[in-house]
Amino acid sequence: MSRVEALRRFLVRRWKPIAAGAAALALLAASGGVLVAWSGLYSVAASKGHWLVIDRFLRFGMMNSVETHAPDVEPPPLDDADLIRLGAAHYYAGCAYCHGAPGLAMTPVAQHMLPAPPDLTSHVSLWTDQELFWLVKHGLKYTGMPGWPVQNRDDEVWAVVAFLRQMPDMTQQTYRDLALAEVEAEPQGGEEIARGNAPDAVSACARCHGDEAGPPKSELVPVLHGQPREMLENALRAYLSGERSSGIMQTAASGLSSDEVAELAVYYAGLEPPRRTIDTAALSGHGRELAESGDPARRIPACMSCHSESALPVYPRLAGQNARYIANRLKAWQAGQTARTDTAAIMVPIARLLTDDDIAAVSDYFSSLPQAGGAGR
Amino acid sequence: MNVLDPAGPDAGRLAELSWILFIGGGAIFALVLAITFFAMQGSDRSRKRLSGNWLVWTGGIAFPVAVLTGLLVYGLLLMGAESRPAEPDLRVHVEGRQWWWRVSYEEPDGSRLESANEIRIPLGREVEFVLTSPDVIHSFWVPSLGGKLDMIPGRTNRLRLTADRPGVYRGQCAEYCGGPHALMALEVIAMPAGEFDAWRAQASSPVENAPARGGELFLATGCGSCHTVRGTSAAGTIGPDLSRLGERRQLAAARLPMSAENIARFITHGQDIKPGNLMPEFRFLTADETAAIASYLAELK
Repeated sequence: MSRVEALRRFLVRRWKPIAAGAAALALLAASGGVLVAWSGLYSVAASKGHWLVIDRFLRFGMMNSVETHAPDVEPPPLDDADLIRLGAAHYYAGCAYCHGAPGLAMTPVAQHMLPAPPDLTSHVSLWTDQELFWLVKHGLKYTGMPGWPVQNRDDEVWAVVAFLRQMPDMTQQTYRDLALAEVEAEPQGGEEIARGNAPDAVSACARCHGDEAGPPKSELVPVLHGQPREMLENALRAYLSGERSSGIMQTAASGLSSDEVAELAVYYAGLEPPRRTIDTAALSGHGRELAESGDPARRIPACMSCHSESALPVYPRLAGQNARYIANRLKAWQAGQTARTDTAAIMVPIARLLTDDDIAAVSDYFSSLPQAGGAGR
Repeated sequence: MNVLDPAGPDAGRLAELSWILFIGGGAIFALVLAITFFAMQGSDRSRKRLSGNWLVWTGGIAFPVAVLTGLLVYGLLLMGAESRPAEPDLRVHVEGRQWWWRVSYEEPDGSRLESANEIRIPLGREVEFVLTSPDVIHSFWVPSLGGKLDMIPGRTNRLRLTADRPGVYRGQCAEYCGGPHALMALEVIAMPAGEFDAWRAQASSPVENAPARGGELFLATGCGSCHTVRGTSAAGTIGPDLSRLGERRQLAAARLPMSAENIARFITHGQDIKPGNLMPEFRFLTADETAAIASYLAELK
């Protein structure tokens, strides 16, 4: 009689006491756990840190979990300057406080979290692009690392990943140029510093969207100059209410009062549209055809019916808009972003009828079309 | 909408055939029931008589052959009665679309008069409906005027009908075509030939004196990308032609009675009224703006 056979017979004969013993042990362990939690003896103090063995165990679990869950997707080109710039600007507003930035130390508050947020300049290289994407999108349980504010804007998450890839070798100057554009206003003297009158560069819209001085630096960011006031106001309110989905813009808009929203809309509506070099080649052909006549056989209405100068002020004007922004927005709708605002309810079904070629053609067409003056709208 | 209340010769023949089938079928059914009853409950003598082979020969073979042959001859004669003159008096192109009907009258000068969801026809004149579909299979059926005929993508079907009696006859898409198929109806208005000619003569010209503000809002809202209003820059062909919307009796493919209030409701809450229809809801319009557009459209007559 083999050993296996002996074991089998033993188990068959004795399974009842074995099962009862296992159940008793499990019960004992569970009640022990409850007892420890109930007693309050275990300290949850962040100041004390974990026991070494627990720390190692948690890290081991975390690393493996991220590796397992990271999606098997092809990242967009991460050396894309527009993407890096967008990521840098959001990193400045959303991430730098805890993780530090080139030339900027982590705040003492963040350093005393448990676990302390890693200094990303040295930690980014530990992860693959996909793992970084997963970390930024989903955050980490029990650590204070938040997930992305919305779960349907992977394009924004990739922007941060693109920036993170560049960050380790970045100088402080490059970082500030990317994240702050020219908006940074250094406090002039002790009094300004003391009173806090220095402009709050974190919330400054112009870091990404530009101002009188010029258009957005990243092509992925929309030109707001000369857009109708009503449309700008609706967009900000939609970000504030969460109806419009964007981790970057919901963060940027949070904290704006109703009056500030109105003021901002007036400001950008009154700005002169930036001058562009016109690509005359893009002004004819398929893009123009779609913009002016649509494609009735495919039920695609003409863009210009709603996006021209004479349309209602709830609709954005597209002339002079960044091509990459237009394309990105259309593709986000195609990728399943749902219509939660009243105007998106009209646009989403149209976006889903467009092919990649259509999107490229109309985006190029509109970005080449000269924008009419916006001041006074 | 009643097959048994014909308003034209084609529907009349169908109604006649239906009555013959109903009455004949009813009589035969009653006969079979009677024979069954006697076979089970009758006296020994009648049961014995029913058990012979003669019943199979007569009731099972001779009777059906005679009846079906008669019906076949009758049916062929009925179909023969449909042989037509070469040219109809009027040709109307009807395109079934998800989920409405594009209507286009052939004008004497060769041009087309565009409309939607409502067809006016002259009494006593033969009308040829040219039936097509750009998307899925629909079926054109106006029961009071005749039988139904499918509208098949890539194919042109022709149906000739004549109305004898003035009236409004409802039609219905009779082939499931997705979402709000059940709400895809239309109306055929049969009117005296003189009135029809007078209507057609003025229908192709643009409406004048429509409310200006509503018209401007209609264009600024982008309605013209899908809808046409003759005489304006609105020249869209994705949705129904609205040039004479106020003149139609019904709205949204005979979903609602025509009124400015119902037009306004459809503009902002069309998906509640006709779930799944392809027109987006314009909920961001203020009540005032919606009312202005609606009264503009209601005045297009």
